[in-house]
Amino acid sequence: MSEPILELRDLRKRFGALVATDGVSLTLRPGEIHALIGPNGAGKSTLIKQILGEIRPDAGTIRFEGQAIDGLDVPARARLGLARSFQVSSVVPGFSVLQNVVLAVAGASGRIYQFHRPALRDPALVEPAVFHIRHAGLAGREGVLASDLSHGERRKLEIAMALALRPRAFLLDEPMAGMGLEGARQLTAILSDLRAEAPILLVEHDMDAVFALADRISVLVYGRIIATGTVAEIRADPEVRRSYLGEDAP
Amino acid sequence: MTRETLVNLVILAALIGTALVAQALGEGFVVTLATKAAIFALAGVGLNLALGFGGMVSLGHAAFFGIGGYVCAILASHAASGQPVAVLPFTIAGTNEMPAIWPVAMAVSGLAAGLIGALSLRTTGVYFIMVTLAFAQMIYYFAVSWPRYGGDDGLSFYVRNSFPGLNTFDPIQYFAICATLLVLALGVCALILRARFGLALEGARQNPARAQALGIRPYGLRLTAFVLSGMIVGLAGALYADLNRFVSPAMLSWHMSGEIMVFVILGGVGRLCGPVAGAAIYILLEHLLGGVSDYWQVLLGLLLLGIVLFAPGGLVGLIAPRRRHV
Ligand SMILES: Nc1ncnc2c1ncn2[C@@H]1O[C@H](COP(=O)(O)OP(=O)(O)OP(=O)(O)O)[C@@H](O)[C@H]1O
Ligand SMILES: [Mg+2]
Repeated sequence: MSEPILELRDLRKRFGALVATDGVSLTLRPGEIHALIGPNGAGKSTLIKQILGEIRPDAGTIRFEGQAIDGLDVPARARLGLARSFQVSSVVPGFSVLQNVVLAVAGASGRIYQFHRPALRDPALVEPAVFHIRHAGLAGREGVLASDLSHGERRKLEIAMALALRPRAFLLDEPMAGMGLEGARQLTAILSDLRAEAPILLVEHDMDAVFALADRISVLVYGRIIATGTVAEIRADPEVRRSYLGEDAP
Repeated sequence: MTRETLVNLVILAALIGTALVAQALGEGFVVTLATKAAIFALAGVGLNLALGFGGMVSLGHAAFFGIGGYVCAILASHAASGQPVAVLPFTIAGTNEMPAIWPVAMAVSGLAAGLIGALSLRTTGVYFIMVTLAFAQMIYYFAVSWPRYGGDDGLSFYVRNSFPGLNTFDPIQYFAICATLLVLALGVCALILRARFGLALEGARQNPARAQALGIRPYGLRLTAFVLSGMIVGLAGALYADLNRFVSPAMLSWHMSGEIMVFVILGGVGRLCGPVAGAAIYILLEHLLGGVSDYWQVLLGLLLLGIVLFAPGGLVGLIAPRRRHV
């Protein structure tokens, strides 16, 4: 078995009396989509935020490509190639689609202290940006203000920005949330392709998408992983059926 | 050319045109008013870099305006007396050459902005406003209680500093100096705002969490913008000192900070030439109404209220609304 890209070891986080992360160990392997499912409030977003460096765990370590990243802040982890989408989509609203992705390319380059060359006329920024916009299915929308995009388009913009980070792993927190049926189907196809770029840790409530995409699934309940396995294994697991999928799940 | 660019050119042309026409008509006083407007505009352009583009609501920019002014006055007074400003660790002589005074004024105010910014930027929101205000007040009280350079009474120097090849006593020539520096500052701002730095600064202002997720640390960007902002305002302060041949702690007071902020808000927060329009209108109102009634500031207050409530983009925003497509 190949070395995991991302490895969490015995991560713990409490908010006062609430144990949001209760000894979570988990790996993300090259080329896989690893879905993280669980009921509301199970601690999925909290876990993602610890991986990104937004929340500091109380205990445990996170290794990314063989390196402990516990001491790094959010921008440093982003530059290592940890790309994310937010549960509530988060773009720069007053920027056009192109400006958003150019910003992402510039951020990933680590060279933002340039004061004279117009960023939107810098081929080193614009060419990759246009490429990623196309890849994310937003071709032709480059000039549109992000705040004018539909919900689904904004999701795609987040994907384009994640791609611009030259990601080594994607952490996607409910990318399908609020998408219509057609939008979810499109995004499922895009995510399936994305796997070729980098492995994906996917938090998602849309079970159709999860079962269609995931190579492995981990089930988080009350901050604790109660099962990890393939789609078939998870669907058959009695405890998962009881605590999350529901007894009468197909 | 975008509509805003056109509006910007009209604003600058109006300011420069006013000075030229006044000169032709022999109205030296109006030329001086236009000079004052250009200097205030420069201060506003500096503040706008922090406030409008960086999202840093500083109520302490009078500190940089005053520091620039005091640097100018102190160097000039030492040049007049012939005594060095300092002998340790090395001798610093006074000077009455503007090209020597400006870099010093900008460096000292930039240094102050670096120190104040480094501490203030650890806070946000209303705390940031209060911390910047507190620093400016500290410097204000220091100036008031420092008798060496006039304390409460301020510091006069009787001869305007000189610029090679120009007669700075001639109002229109001094206006030309101030207007040129204003245009240069606008050019520099336009350039850096379009560059990666400006894109990242603006992105971090609109959505700091997203910027961080893209590998961008807002703190350093903001501090850099704050220092540049302080330097530009410091330069404006030096020009203002030379305009009046006098500095006093009033330049450092929070009234001054508020006034500079008024220029920016009147003209348009985050609009390149907004502060130019704002400063010009401020001077115009002060001149037209200040003589009629001491209560002209009430009218200014109403105007500000109207702008804030109904035209948050200021005058420039009113004439050139932001396009929905870029
Ligand atoms: N900053 C915080 N301070 C205190 N409690 C928090 C904080 N963030 C999250 N929590 C709590 O931790 C628990 C886990 O929250 P989290 O957002 O990780 O759940 P989730 O699995 O992402 O849920 P959902 O599916 O609704 O997004 C919840 O009970 C939440 O109220
Ligand atoms: Mg969540």
